[in-house]
Amino acid sequence: MNDAIKIRILQGDPIIHDVKSAVGLPLFRGLPTIQDKPCLDGCNKCTEVCPTNAIKLSPVKIDMGLCVFCPECEAACPEKIIHFTNNFHTVTDSKEKLVVTKETQNVTPEIASEKIRKYFGKSLKLRQISAGGCNGCELELNALSNVNFDLGRYGIEFVASPRHADGVVVTGPITQNMAKALEIAYEAVPNPKIIILFGACAISGGIFQNSDKTERKFLEENIIDLFIPGCPPHPLTFMNGLLDWLDKN
Amino acid sequence: MKWIDVQNNQSFDLESIVYLRKDDFSNTVSELLQTGSRMIALTPIDKNIPQKIIAVLSDSASSTIHIVGGNFSDGKFEFESWANKYPQTNYFECELSENYGYLSVNHPWLRPVRKQSVILGNKPYQFFKLEGEEVHEVAVGPIHAGVIEPGHFRFQCHGELIYNLEINLGYQHRAVENLFLKAKPNQRIFLAESIAGDTTIGHTFAHCSALESLTQTQISLRADVIRTVAAEIERIAMHLSGLGGLTNDIGFALPSASYGRLRTLAINSLAAICGSRYGRGLFAYGGINFDFTNETIEMVTENLKTIQNDVQKINEYLFSSVGALSRFEETGIINNELANSIGLVGLAARSSGIEDDIRINFPYSAYRYNPVSMITLSTGDVFARARARAMEMDEALRFVFEQIENLPQGKIKSEMGNLNVNSGVISIVEGWRGEIVHIASIDNSGNLMQYKIKDPSFNNWYGLSLTLRNTAISDFPLCNKSFDLSYSGHDL
Repeated sequence: MNDAIKIRILQGDPIIHDVKSAVGLPLFRGLPTIQDKPCLDGCNKCTEVCPTNAIKLSPVKIDMGLCVFCPECEAACPEKIIHFTNNFHTVTDSKEKLVVTKETQNVTPEIASEKIRKYFGKSLKLRQISAGGCNGCELELNALSNVNFDLGRYGIEFVASPRHADGVVVTGPITQNMAKALEIAYEAVPNPKIIILFGACAISGGIFQNSDKTERKFLEENIIDLFIPGCPPHPLTFMNGLLDWLDKN
Repeated sequence: MKWIDVQNNQSFDLESIVYLRKDDFSNTVSELLQTGSRMIALTPIDKNIPQKIIAVLSDSASSTIHIVGGNFSDGKFEFESWANKYPQTNYFECELSENYGYLSVNHPWLRPVRKQSVILGNKPYQFFKLEGEEVHEVAVGPIHAGVIEPGHFRFQCHGELIYNLEINLGYQHRAVENLFLKAKPNQRIFLAESIAGDTTIGHTFAHCSALESLTQTQISLRADVIRTVAAEIERIAMHLSGLGGLTNDIGFALPSASYGRLRTLAINSLAAICGSRYGRGLFAYGGINFDFTNETIEMVTENLKTIQNDVQKINEYLFSSVGALSRFEETGIINNELANSIGLVGLAARSSGIEDDIRINFPYSAYRYNPVSMITLSTGDVFARARARAMEMDEALRFVFEQIENLPQGKIKSEMGNLNVNSGVISIVEGWRGEIVHIASIDNSGNLMQYKIKDPSFNNWYGLSLTLRNTAISDFPLCNKSFDLSYSGHDL
């Protein structure tokens, strides 16, 4: 018993109390910013080093849905136009809004409809489905339940059965071998239900966008509610996105 | 000589491989298996010439890798299976059969590795089925109860006891190996980072070492040391995660929550080094992208000191708890003989008393100058695999502190040259689970023509299925977590 108390004391107070204003470590790569200045003539160093074709030029735009938040483009840009901040707020409610331009200041999802907030505002149970995820996203989603992030305090939890869920969180580029299982699991979730895409692979295929073993029809056939960019997204990105969306932040 | 011998990360001329006729090939591989070598790959060295294959075997005792070539140009793709005598080759033969249509004659149990509804040999595959009174079947997955990757498990039970567990994987198959061949050179590191997201550093380490050998790029000692430090922090983080999972599975909440908190500190140390909690973006061809500054060293030291201090007390609490020990001890046993015969690797193998650690047996990078100690336990049960995690963590912490105190000076990145034509390399790394093998070969115009990956999970899934024989289904989560294998690393 004494030992248990000692260990409990070691735990201290590890929880992140202020989720909204928490920022990442100095080197953490969150929301990118694009400075309003011209590129050097004919320079395309950033697009050349980008592993997922996330950058478009003239003017410079970064699609966070494709971006794996690697350090390459920032290091390659001779004019220091691209910079990754340690801001966790990158979640959007549409694919188009994932594109960061020089005008982008803040990224937050539009507050969900009254109906969604009425249904899920106080309690949201989610079923995660890994469809080709490398376990990076899965680790971060698991981390949400640990003592540092404790997602449960907001009434948001992961459940075992799709029958108990209000929606699905999809990770991975959706492999052919998982396409059917994903469909069945989604079907098993009672209405109304939401779909959240977690990570670059789920949103765009990410580094696996050229794989011939993926089957992404599910995404075309269903309406996606939230896009959570990253590779993998930070737990605080997920939390802030959901809390903003449900107007709880 | 019927085969060629190479070292870990030593690039070799593809012309030097001796291709034997099929009977000779089969006998030579048998001979090597007989003398204690372990198979680490069985694949064509050129994806487009499936009739010429290589069997790669590693000999821990002499730190040598043997490459035996087999030429099947004049006849059927058939050879006598080794698996009846050496079960460790079983899965490699299944993989070769699935990918390139080979048939290993008299193979005890050809089954699919990654493809669904596959035809192996000449009949469609059926799950193993047990029939009789008091017999029932439990099918689980591909989607499991937790936030984990997908895989299908089929238990054939006799009353309460599991008679056989068949593990059917492939749901995560993204064709990573093919993507390596198709990818632009600047995409490859990112593919390597996403082979298994929990072993980002392990796989990227193996990939970078392979390509650096093929371009004869010299890595500075500083970059080498930082790479190994990052690899050990990954080991610490994932062992903490493993212990957290094991304690969670036996309903021991306090240690579970504590290990979870400490793991955050470990992965945040990686984020302090390179911005990503899993070490993404750290590795670059020719070195690393982020140097250690005083601030990084300070933060990493502080985090790891907390881990070292706390984990000691939590381990003591856990491993002196009668309740925990009674669940861990004698659960999911895999004895030394069985572990050897099925070719178990890494942490699981060392927990069954096999002295096999790539950092020691096939030293690479900075481990050549800064050795780590081998940690082995003999009981091969869940307890051993839990205890081994705790002990390896201590050793990793010692290693990291020692290295960052005496960090060599130097640049962190060297320029990488062009790929040597007509050459190949075998790069082996000890990830936190065990042996990671990357094999790359370059054609005569300097392009990658084969990229073969073997995650430790490829060997160890079979071990998990065997540990469950004659135990109750209720032991499955605990046994599973004690191995903590990768689905995506296996499925590729």
